[in-house]
Amino acid sequence: MGKATIIPFGPQHPVLPEPLHLDLVVEDETVIDCIPQIGFVHRGLEKLVETRDYNQFIYVAERICGICAMGHSLGYAETVEELMGVEVPRRAEYLRVIWHELSRIHSHLLWLGLAADAFGFESMFMHCWRLRERVLDIFEKTTGGRVILSVVSVGGVVRDMDRATLTWICDVLDGIKSDYDAIVKTLLTDTSIKNRTVGVGAISREKAIELSMVGPFARASDVAYDVRMFGRGAYGDLADFQPIVDAQGDCYARVKVRCLEVVQSIEIIKELASKIPEGDIAVKVKGSPVAGAQASSVLEQPRGECYYYARGNGSKYLERMRMRTPTSQNLAGMTVALKGCDLADVNMIILTIDPCISCTER
Amino acid sequence: MEFTQGFAPLEDAQVHEEAQRRRADGWRYVQMLAVNRDEGVDVIYSYMKDGALENLVVEAVPHDGKLESISDVYLESFVCENEIHDLFGIGFSGLAIDFLGNFYRLSTEKPMTIISPEQLARREKEAKAKAAAAAKAAAQTQEQNAEDMEAKLAAMDPEKAAKVRAAMEAKAAKEKKQAEADLEAKLAGMDPEKAAKVRAAMEAKAAKAEKEVR
Repeated sequence: MGKATIIPFGPQHPVLPEPLHLDLVVEDETVIDCIPQIGFVHRGLEKLVETRDYNQFIYVAERICGICAMGHSLGYAETVEELMGVEVPRRAEYLRVIWHELSRIHSHLLWLGLAADAFGFESMFMHCWRLRERVLDIFEKTTGGRVILSVVSVGGVVRDMDRATLTWICDVLDGIKSDYDAIVKTLLTDTSIKNRTVGVGAISREKAIELSMVGPFARASDVAYDVRMFGRGAYGDLADFQPIVDAQGDCYARVKVRCLEVVQSIEIIKELASKIPEGDIAVKVKGSPVAGAQASSVLEQPRGECYYYARGNGSKYLERMRMRTPTSQNLAGMTVALKGCDLADVNMIILTIDPCISCTER
Repeated sequence: MEFTQGFAPLEDAQVHEEAQRRRADGWRYVQMLAVNRDEGVDVIYSYMKDGALENLVVEAVPHDGKLESISDVYLESFVCENEIHDLFGIGFSGLAIDFLGNFYRLSTEKPMTIISPEQLARREKEAKAKAAAAAKAAAQTQEQNAEDMEAKLAAMDPEKAAKVRAAMEAKAAKEKKQAEADLEAKLAGMDPEKAAKVRAAMEAKAAKAEKEVR
């Protein structure tokens, strides 16, 4: 056994799109400990709730992260609606879920592209991002934006979709799926990818539960927890929803779970598009949250469960708004997954956990 | 599985014990957060089991106070505990991974405890509105009391009523005289120029009130 050495990893690293620093304690080529460090992009967005009223803050919430923008505006709106006892029209709930699931597809495709790039599979990166562009085209046509959508409001949504648009979305998704199936087939059967991912950074089911891990990271360790299974909003109208899990708990399992979740999201959107009820898309929200009233909520973001909290102070400004993001919850799991791995596998393990540092720091 | 959420109080001394109990009962740690208030910082611990999200509120932890860390029970809480320490100044004893105040790169210490000018203005406005409402209620009560007294006096023997009225007027005059003496003493202690301005403003106010009565 060699002498223990600390190797700094990040905050600037080719595989990291965002700043994350790790102190890797290595003996020979084996990582024996890992201390994560974030805090390079803390923007104090939660503090802005003091100077933006509860309607304006929705635009701040969706700027927390470019990838999870739709999810953050939705989670925030749902929490404020809970706080103020607002009932959202059914059609709005369907539209929200359709956009949110599209957002999940684009997030997973973005991640898949980055992962393929890290494998050294650059053509795969191009293909994944080409498909992602088609999802962004759907956003552009239905909301006017490609990244920041600004469609959710407290009380509903601000844009509707007609039947022709919904049919067009389903057609685009069918087109994406046929191309996507070919990509996934290659990705999950390629020997070089399997060599880099199978058995690497494995976390057992027991450990995943002990560390309260969330999202695809936990589901790849056979933890069947997905906020969508609570059936809130339009999710309650799905004929069947089962979280996608895998028992292996390694990098390959995490890749597989995300690959299958894209297909699941496509099915959810198509089912909801066929069932969407007619009606209003928003209710008018009057008044202000009661002083001292508080509410919490959870939402399944692409990276896992995100927790939202709001407290009123009797004015149109909230006293406090808080988001606990999935990456924040998964940092402990990441340090455990890295312990005992080969130094060369560190980037692969981090990528398959898909950390989102902008969300975590806010 | 149905989702439910609720809030319940938690004593600061029970934080660690509660975490151990939740862990043993199969609860999942969800998060920790802090809310800055004048009385102190509220720290909220969230746990989930079978779709039930429970938020346990430790109320008014003193500013710069300390709580016991739960990171030996739930390792993942080290992120929130370090964050609360850096942003709110609440310390945690026995933190599994302690960044000693360097978790976030901050230009200001404890930024979430700073009351912004907007928040301060809002709080002052709310306090003023509350004071105005209280004064209005007090004036209404006083008016009602005077009406009740008048009704009582009307029902009395006229001679006795006159005596009571005279006593009340004497008391009111004494109170007025005392208030004037207090005001004079206050003005005497003031800068003469400022005192003259206050005196002029009071005279103008009295003249306006007299004009309105006429």
